[in-house]
Amino acid sequence: MANVILKSGLLAVLSLLMVTPSTWASDSIDERVDSLFVIASSGEVKYREMVEPAKLAIAEMGAEVVPRLIEKFTTKSARERHTIVNILKEIGSPAVPDLLRALKGDNGLVVQRVCWALGDIKDSSAVDGLVEVSDHPRWQVRDQAIGALGKIGDTRGADVVHFALTDTIGQVRKAAAVSAGKLAMGQSVEQLVHILGDDFYGARLSALHALLQLNKRRVFVVLSDSLESENHRLGNLGCRVLGRLATGDALDLLLTQSRSPNPSRRAQAAVALVKADPFDNCGFREKFLADETDRFVQLKVESAISAQQDAE
Amino acid sequence: MRLSIISFLLFCLVAGSAATQDTLQPPEQFGLEHLTDYLGLKPSDISYRSDYTEPDSLRLKVTAELMDRPLDMIGYAGGLRGAHVGGQPEILAGVLYRDLAGEHQSQRQSAYRPSGTEMQHNYNLYYTDITLNRLLSRVATYLDVIFPRSAEMSLAPLSEKQRRFLVEEFKEIVVMDEDDEFLSMEEIDSLEKVEEGYTEQFVGFATLIDKDPLVSAGIGCLRDLLLDIEALRSGMRNGNISAEKLLKGIEFLPKDVPTHNYLGRQPGWKIGGPGNDYYEGNYDFILDLGGNDVYDLSYDPSDPHGVIIIDLEGDDFYRAGSDFALGSGCLSVGLLLDFGGDDRYDAKSFGLGSGYFGFGLLYDSGGDDRYDGDTHVQGAGTFGIGLLIDEGGRDIYNAAVYSQGFGFVQGAGMIYEVDGSDTYYAGGKYKDILRYEDHYLSLSQGFGYGLRPWMSGGIGGIIDLSGNDNYYADIFAQASSYWWSIGLIYDSAGNDNYQCFQYAQGAATHMSLGILIDDYGNDVYFGKGLMQGCGHDYSCGLILDRHGNDVYTAYDLSQGAGSANGAGVQIDNEGDDRYYSKNRLNTQGYGNPRRDFGSIGLFIDLGGQDQYAGNGRDNYYWETDSKWGGGMDIELIVPDSIEAGGE
Repeated sequence: MANVILKSGLLAVLSLLMVTPSTWASDSIDERVDSLFVIASSGEVKYREMVEPAKLAIAEMGAEVVPRLIEKFTTKSARERHTIVNILKEIGSPAVPDLLRALKGDNGLVVQRVCWALGDIKDSSAVDGLVEVSDHPRWQVRDQAIGALGKIGDTRGADVVHFALTDTIGQVRKAAAVSAGKLAMGQSVEQLVHILGDDFYGARLSALHALLQLNKRRVFVVLSDSLESENHRLGNLGCRVLGRLATGDALDLLLTQSRSPNPSRRAQAAVALVKADPFDNCGFREKFLADETDRFVQLKVESAISAQQDAE
Repeated sequence: MRLSIISFLLFCLVAGSAATQDTLQPPEQFGLEHLTDYLGLKPSDISYRSDYTEPDSLRLKVTAELMDRPLDMIGYAGGLRGAHVGGQPEILAGVLYRDLAGEHQSQRQSAYRPSGTEMQHNYNLYYTDITLNRLLSRVATYLDVIFPRSAEMSLAPLSEKQRRFLVEEFKEIVVMDEDDEFLSMEEIDSLEKVEEGYTEQFVGFATLIDKDPLVSAGIGCLRDLLLDIEALRSGMRNGNISAEKLLKGIEFLPKDVPTHNYLGRQPGWKIGGPGNDYYEGNYDFILDLGGNDVYDLSYDPSDPHGVIIIDLEGDDFYRAGSDFALGSGCLSVGLLLDFGGDDRYDAKSFGLGSGYFGFGLLYDSGGDDRYDGDTHVQGAGTFGIGLLIDEGGRDIYNAAVYSQGFGFVQGAGMIYEVDGSDTYYAGGKYKDILRYEDHYLSLSQGFGYGLRPWMSGGIGGIIDLSGNDNYYADIFAQASSYWWSIGLIYDSAGNDNYQCFQYAQGAATHMSLGILIDDYGNDVYFGKGLMQGCGHDYSCGLILDRHGNDVYTAYDLSQGAGSANGAGVQIDNEGDDRYYSKNRLNTQGYGNPRRDFGSIGLFIDLGGQDQYAGNGRDNYYWETDSKWGGGMDIELIVPDSIEAGGE
């Protein structure tokens, strides 16, 4: 009962904060933001239903709250950090000018979080600012800036994204691979294929997804030259890409790969074929399973066939 | 010549066999390499950078190294399992001490070394037995000289105010209040801000603290005393030393010498006989030769000192009248050594093997014992080591939070259970107000914890070698961790039962590591979510069950589930197992995306006829529609097709 009373009281306070802003004329914007922010960033389960209204209340105050929110970006709390980004996203384009000014700040931690917010807002007026910080000495800033450029989807960011595909830090290469896919950067096919053998799995698998956004023929041509790379993971993931391309040439190449002396490659190629050719138009399954000597490869292919049948 | 040839051939055979043995790969290693290759991954993909956030200077080297290669946790946990030698708790303590080296620490400072003068006591001898006097003399050296001087070395740069802060404000960061659930949002926010303030304040001088001299002094003391204690016990067992003779003092005491000038009769010291004795107060040293004794002990943290309690026999009842009593090292060293009997330990907080800016050990050599306490008890370490070693009997462990193998900042906490079917319960007192209205925090049972993002955490573990054990907890327990720390359980044998609601059974959150290894027995694992091999936010949670017919049940984000760029790994090497998951969309080989890329979820079963509710299937490989994960159920060793008695 005490809880109910308490909750009702707090809801009343929240309503007051949200509904009658004019009554707060004597208070500064910052104080109002701070009061609401305590609620907006509350994590306790019993106050959960009050969180979203509080976030909206701050967002409805518009661009004038942005400087205060940027100040709060120094927080050590992950919950508060997410709350700030959510509110800025809700404010949208009006928040961008202040955020762009903040990109010039000295605090790298704040700059990376501002990049994150700009990516979520997706306003193309942020592109130039993000390009400027894309070679920031702090890798976290580069990661967020390159990622934000992909989210915004403006090709003015393509050059720096392409450059970032060779960054020394895996996370930045990952961001570049993701953005290259989003920006449909045909000029980056060779580099993305190379990243299929990247040491960082985030970059590797993001490159795989990015390649599927690009011109199929171009991807096939580059891949067909790269399957025999000494980096066997590049070839293995290449087989996955070929299976997803599912063109005639791609299937032919997969058939060749399914006869590789390397059981891992045979499995990747054969499984990709099963997925790409669900009705076995190539007629390869029976022969493959009859000839295959490695029981694990056999089981992988049988499993893929079984999964295919389940899905039908 | 012929003999030489035979010898050479034998040598070749042996050498060849040894070489083959060396190259044998553990099944789980094969499974990891095999499944990751199938998924376009590699085992070393499970690796985390140290600079996602600003590294703090309190991070442990072992944690930093294992975060770089989390799968090495399997070997690390195995090493801890083999680190105890019966009757020699100082060996395990030494191993934990080694693991408390800082990430960039090049030298470890040892305990204070007393000068010859300091070792020559000014005490007169009261007792006549040489073995006893040797023990008492050594105890006096530690209590009077080595502990206080080592404490001074550990805390030298701290002001009086800062020292008080450690036992007052900093303690509040760990201690909870049952009434917290009734606080308003503003009050909770305000409380959080206060605790954040304490944390910031502490961070300002935390690096000035060097726990090493104190911990090292405690381990050295343990090593030295155990030799003398064994000599005493052995003499009593053989009948060479009788209790009566032992307690007999010299016949004529000079009248002008105060009692406290006699060794063994100092203030705060007590030596009890073979009968049932009662001790009450804040003691420095007690030696009890036998009987069913009752101890009502207390400790004043504003006046820190070493405490050594040795009880050689009997069913004893230890009760704490305050926090920091019973095997508790608070700004000092606390040793409680009980050699046998069915004992009962009833602590408040910070006891029963609690090292809080110090070294605390509770060693119980056998008997069916019961351990009760609240917070930071039963193997809990903060800036030090808290160790509870129980070498036998059917034992019961009961605590509220931050207990039962709990490692906080710069600390290691561990329960090492050698034998007996034991029960561990943690929780039921302090509500998890952040997540639920009807669940309680446990933060125990092999739990590593750091203060995000201020201070990296420590190492919390339970090693249980045998018996059918029961583990019960609620939120955060059973080989789990939070913020640059390690939580582990290694249970070697027995049919064990693990029950927990969330964040458990090989679960790691926010840049940390959790591993549960169970070698043998038909085990049951049950819980709701974020468990059974789950890593969340650049963390790795791993569960490895090597043998037995096991049953795993979980609702969601479990059984090989990676979340927010973490990695969750579930491996079962052998046995006919059953896997149940309620939500097949995020279990049994699942990863979810965060920061624009995926996590890693690996599910591996290497043998037996298994049953599934979920994504898995017997003799099957699968890849889930997630970023990124999958599983495999194979027969690593093909069963012999010729059955016994068959044609």
